[in-house]
Amino acid sequence: MTKRDFINKRRNAWRRFAELVKDLNLRRNRLSAEEMAEFSRLFRGACYDLATIRSRNWGTGLESYLNGMVTRAHNAYYSAPPGNLANSFRFVTTEFPRIFRRNIGYFLVAATLFFVPLGVTWTLVRLNPETASRIMSPEQLEQMGKMYEADEDEKDQGWLGYMEGFSNERSGMAGFYIFNNAGIALRVFALGMLMGIGTVWYLVYNGIFIGAAAGYITSLSDAHREKFLSFVVTHGSFELTAIAVSGGAGLILADAILHPGQRTRMEALKVRGREAVQIAIGAAFMLFIAAFIEAFWSPAPLPANVKYAAGATMWLTVFAYLGFAGLDFKKE
Amino acid sequence: MRSAPVPRVDLTESVETPENVVLTYQLAGPALRLGAYLIDLLISGVVYVFCLMIVFAAAMAGRVGLGAGVALILVFLVFWFYFALTEWFFRGRTPGKMAFRLRVIQDGGYPITIWSAVLRNLVRVVDAMPTAVGAAFPVYGVGLLSAFATGNFRTLGDLAARTMVIEENPVRLPREPVILERIQPLNRSEIGGFSPSARTLSLIEEFLGRRYVLTYRRGHEMAQMLAKVLAKRLNYQGDPEVVTRYPMAFLASIYATFHKTLDDDKDTAGLTRGPDARAGQKRPSQPSQNAANGDRA
Repeated sequence: MTKRDFINKRRNAWRRFAELVKDLNLRRNRLSAEEMAEFSRLFRGACYDLATIRSRNWGTGLESYLNGMVTRAHNAYYSAPPGNLANSFRFVTTEFPRIFRRNIGYFLVAATLFFVPLGVTWTLVRLNPETASRIMSPEQLEQMGKMYEADEDEKDQGWLGYMEGFSNERSGMAGFYIFNNAGIALRVFALGMLMGIGTVWYLVYNGIFIGAAAGYITSLSDAHREKFLSFVVTHGSFELTAIAVSGGAGLILADAILHPGQRTRMEALKVRGREAVQIAIGAAFMLFIAAFIEAFWSPAPLPANVKYAAGATMWLTVFAYLGFAGLDFKKE
Repeated sequence: MRSAPVPRVDLTESVETPENVVLTYQLAGPALRLGAYLIDLLISGVVYVFCLMIVFAAAMAGRVGLGAGVALILVFLVFWFYFALTEWFFRGRTPGKMAFRLRVIQDGGYPITIWSAVLRNLVRVVDAMPTAVGAAFPVYGVGLLSAFATGNFRTLGDLAARTMVIEENPVRLPREPVILERIQPLNRSEIGGFSPSARTLSLIEEFLGRRYVLTYRRGHEMAQMLAKVLAKRLNYQGDPEVVTRYPMAFLASIYATFHKTLDDDKDTAGLTRGPDARAGQKRPSQPSQNAANGDRA
C-alpha cells in the first residue's frame, strides 16, 4: 500500500479520533461508554498507524501529525480520577500521619538539629542574658522585652479589649503567622533539593534565634517569664513540631540525592520525593492550625495555669496525632 | 525512556507507551517557558494588587488588621500554590502555559498528578534562586543551571517530581505537496536501474511540501544539490537543463516516478517494480487506477 492510499484509507478514522481526543481533553472523563470503547479502539489503531509510518519512513509531517494526536490521547486516556474533598480529609486524618511515621528517622534528625540548638541557646542566654546581644540587635531585644511586659492597660481592658481585637488585629496576626511560618516551613522543605544544606542551616538558625529570644525574655523578670511561657506553650506544640516535620521532609529529598542506594539519583528522588512533599504539606497544615491558636487563643487574658493546661493538652494532641492517627495495627 | 546519552541538537524526548509505540515529545526551551512564566507572574501580580486593595478598603472601614490578615493568607496561597493548583486543575497547563501551548507531563507522558504539581512548584523557590532586590526579583539561576546540566531541560522541580514541560503544537494532517496527476514522470528509457530509497522520497515530498517557506532562489539552490546527486545516481540521460534550471520540477518527477514503491516491503517491491513502473507511467491519464494498484502491492 502506498502512503497516499494509506492516508486515504485511514483519514476518516483519524478525524474521528481527533474529535474524541478533543472531547476527552475538554470534558474530563465524561465520554459515554460507547464513545469510550470507540476511543480505545481508535487509539490502538492510531498507535499502530504511527508505528507503520515510522517503519516505512513516510516522512516527519505525517509522523508528527499522528504523534501529536497519540501523545494527547495518551495524556487524556491515562489520567487518574480527579481528587475530591473526601481525599483531603483522609489525607489529614490518616495518610499524613502514616507517611510521617514511615519516615520518622528524618524527623528525629531534623528535630535534633532544631531543638538542641534551641535548648542550648535558651539555657546559655538564661544564665548570661548579655550573650543575647550577640544574636539579636539591641532594638530587637528591647522590642521583645516590651512585647511580654505585664501590661496594666491590657489587664484593665481584659476580655473587652481582647474581644475587640478579635476581628481586627488578631485576624491580621493570623494571616501574618500563616504567611510567615508556613512560608518558612515550605522553604525549609524545598531547600532539601540543594542537598539539604539550606534545610540544616534554617533549622539550626531558627533554633538558635528562638532559643536566644526565649532565654532573654525569661531572664528579664518573673512576670515576663510567665507571660511569655503561657503565651507560647499552646501554639508552640503545633508550630515548633511542624518546623521539624517540614525539615525532616527536606532531609528526605537531600538523602535521596546523597544516598540513592540501589537506584539512580533521579529514580530515588522520584520514589521518595512523593512522600516528602506529602509530609511538607502536612506540616503546612499544622502551621495553619498553629497560626490560628497563636492569633486567637494565646493572647487571651486567661490565668497562666489555664493556658499551661491547654498547652499540655495540645502537646499531647500533637504527639497523639502524629504517633497514632490512622494507625494500622496490622502493618505498623 | 531515554537510555544511553546520545548527543543531540534538538529538544526531544521519547517515551514508550503501554501500546508499545514510541512517542516523541518536543521539550519546551527556556524562551517559551520564560514567556509562560511572565504571564503567570502578571496574573499573580494582579491578585497581589487586589490584596492591597483589600487592605486599603479594610483600613477605610477601620479594620486594617482583618484586611491585612485576609490579604496575607491570599498572598501566601497565590505565592505557593498558584502554579501547583492551576497545573493540576488544567491538566498540566497554567494560564501562561496555555498561552504558549506548553504542558507539564509526567515522565511516560502521563498527566501530572496533584502531588507532582505541588512538589515541582514548591521546589520553584529553589529554582528561582538567587533572588535580587530582596525576594522580589527571581533570577532563576539554579533552575537554568539545572535545565542545561540535565540536557533535557529539567529544572530541579522537574527532577524532583519527574515531570517535563513540552510544546503542544496544533496537529494537522499534512497536505499533498503536489498534485501528482499533473506531474510528468521521468521517461524510463532515460534513467538507469537505480531506485531511490523510501527515505529519499519522503525527503523530496517534505521538501516540496514546504517549498513556500523558502524564497524561490534559495529553494531552487537547495533543490539543485539533491537533484544533481540523484541525476547522477539515476544515470539520467535526459535534458541536463532540467536538472540545473528546474531542480524542483525534476525532484517532483522523481517522486512521481517512484512513489508507488515508497512503502513496499523489500521483497514485494522487487516483485512489483516492473508492472508498477509501467502503471506509474500510465497513471496521469488514469488516476482511478491508483487504489487498485496500491492494494495489490
